Amino acid sequence: MKHAFDIEALRRRIATQERLTPVRRPAVPLGPAALDAALPAHGLATGALHELVPAAHGDFAAGIGFGFCLLARIARSRAGQVLWAVPAHLEHREGGLYPPGLAALGFDPGRLIQVTARKPIDILWALEEALGHAPLAAVVGVLPEKARDYDFPASRRLALRAAAQGVTALILREREVPGMSTAAETRWSIASLPSRLEGMTSRAGAGFGPGAPRWQIKLTKCRKGTSGGRSDGWSAGWHGGRPDNWDVEWDHETLSFRLPPPLADRAPAWASGIDSSWAEAS
Amino acid sequence: MLVTTSDSGQRITALNRAAEQLGFLPGMTLADARAIHPALRVDRADLAGDHRALMRLAFWCQCFSPFTRADAPDGVSLDITGCAHLFGGEAGLLDMLSRKLGGFGLTAKLAIAPTVGAAWGLARHAASPRLVVPRQDLRSALAPLPVAALCLDAASLPALEKLGLKRIDDLLDKPRAPLVARFGPLVLRRLDEALGHEEASFGPLSPPVLHAVTCRFAEPIITREAIEIAIGRLTADLAADLERAARGVRRVELRLFRVDGWFEALPLATSTATRDAPHLARLLGERLDRIEDRAGFGFEAASLSALQVENLTGRQEDLGDEALVGARGDIAPLLDRLVNRFGARHVMRAEPHASYVPERAARAVSVLKPAKSHDWCAHARIVQDGAPFARPLFLLAVPEPVTTLAGVPDGPPTRFEWRRVAHRVASAEGPERIAPEWWLAPVGASRRTRDYYRVEDEAGRRFWLFREGLYERGEDTPRWFIHGVFA
Repeated sequence: MKHAFDIEALRRRIATQERLTPVRRPAVPLGPAALDAALPAHGLATGALHELVPAAHGDFAAGIGFGFCLLARIARSRAGQVLWAVPAHLEHREGGLYPPGLAALGFDPGRLIQVTARKPIDILWALEEALGHAPLAAVVGVLPEKARDYDFPASRRLALRAAAQGVTALILREREVPGMSTAAETRWSIASLPSRLEGMTSRAGAGFGPGAPRWQIKLTKCRKGTSGGRSDGWSAGWHGGRPDNWDVEWDHETLSFRLPPPLADRAPAWASGIDSSWAEAS
Repeated sequence: MLVTTSDSGQRITALNRAAEQLGFLPGMTLADARAIHPALRVDRADLAGDHRALMRLAFWCQCFSPFTRADAPDGVSLDITGCAHLFGGEAGLLDMLSRKLGGFGLTAKLAIAPTVGAAWGLARHAASPRLVVPRQDLRSALAPLPVAALCLDAASLPALEKLGLKRIDDLLDKPRAPLVARFGPLVLRRLDEALGHEEASFGPLSPPVLHAVTCRFAEPIITREAIEIAIGRLTADLAADLERAARGVRRVELRLFRVDGWFEALPLATSTATRDAPHLARLLGERLDRIEDRAGFGFEAASLSALQVENLTGRQEDLGDEALVGARGDIAPLLDRLVNRFGARHVMRAEPHASYVPERAARAVSVLKPAKSHDWCAHARIVQDGAPFARPLFLLAVPEPVTTLAGVPDGPPTRFEWRRVAHRVASAEGPERIAPEWWLAPVGASRRTRDYYRVEDEAGRRFWLFREGLYERGEDTPRWFIHGVFA
């Protein structure tokens, strides 16, 4: 036990030297206990920088969708507007954010301020400016693949500003940059998953159609966390007894994620608690 | 001589006196002119530069009257009602104007007449380069001028000349009804305006200034630091001025007057009324990018004018939606800075619009407009008609055509190709039929019904496709488009 105590003391010492979290901000739980348990704050830390990366080229909308679901949860616990900054060329390619679609996900489009800029450096400028304004709830920036300006110092600046004001920052990279090191608290990789077919009877037609959005999310980076950090695929689906990827479904009525029942041919049930020996070893 | 290139070849737009004496006219083609006289010296006309110079001249003319108008391409009109006596009467004003314009190296044709229409025509077409026409002589002065002196459009002028109506004299005292029937109402309206039967006037060139502060410098300043100090002083003065009047500004303009008579204007709009001097100074300071390149020999004076003000009596308690309105009040400085950097059209918020047509169900409005609280939840419920997730996260600005393969002609596609990527449809829902708003569409525009389908491919990506048009309705073959992407 003495060994464990030493590690706690060391962590505290490092935290004071890092000066990254001067104030303890509340975390926003994501819903499922298994998901929250993987995060050190037992939820998504507010006042921090988080990165979202689509798993493949076609998963851009899935990444943004997941981001707005996170925002819907953050916005529920913190008043204020949300700033969305996107490069103009990406908006031309992917289309513009569609407010009724946001409302359908449970995010109030009335709280969104949309900024379009030409260059990634302008996006970073807007994010940095906005993070200095406490009345905002969150800021979201979309960065194209070749955003050289977003490096470790830039992400560190964003993270420090976010921590100072308690505004949460989300960055959506168009694609994962290999070997990229940033000051983000967490990094998620998002892939689309086939949704559960649902019976519908409405003006939108009768019959079976795609249901609630479902994604496979993978925690590829988690500071101070005990899982993730690998980017070599998810072959086993779990990692020393703790998974780092989940199939989640968004519930737009309760504004929470849920883990749909696992399918028969998946890996064995992993919700068996934390493997403490592995946690210590890390 | 100067030429411009148009669809019909190179044509002469301007020429000097020597060329005029050789018999050339504006509007001739360059090929014709070269054929007559091969040794012509030809340069390309700089129309944008001409327009800039004309605006400069118009701004300068404001020292005679604030009611000044630049008449592109070649003139400036001044409404000198109540101003002439300041310069020694109408003749004195004309003298001074002609002397000063001569000093600029300009040859001016000047005319003072009781109506702006008559002055326009007399300045351009009268034989004398300086002319003052009193009201009783107006008719006789106009009569010998060509009809072109009426400032007509390109269509009616040749029509008049073709019928032999070459001078204004030919139009005076003619029966009005046949003239209107043949040439439209414009000709007679211009004639009435020139004769003073109908009112014609124009507003001031610069918007009226409500509060203004100026400062003059002992020495011309060039460096950005010096300009920033001047801005700091001006904003503090303006803020004190506004404080006394219990007002805040929404629009201001900073003018930096150059030694050579021109000025740099930096307009600025804010999202809420403000009289916060450091905030205004910071916004203006951010606009000074590369100001040193434009400083010339330096700025000798600066003025800061409030163009739009609102009452602002201390901070007001918000009684409405606190989460929205209260927070908005505080992010106003942020919005101002974003607008200042990216432009008002690039910082937007969304507003719902009552329409089932997807691209019209929401519209983007500038954050400079006052924010209203909207019930998006109810709006989304109405447009989706109760179905959850029936609207995409991203909507393409223009629907893109896709090639599809459908099992049955009017069913959902079984596979489709978009941007050269093939998708196999695993499940589809629809159709959701959306009819066009025929009462809004312009005549002749496509008014085809759309059948929307939500489809999911095998990888789990969800798309919003529609088929435009219906089968067996005697229309063209329906086509498929993609309109959006779901989360």
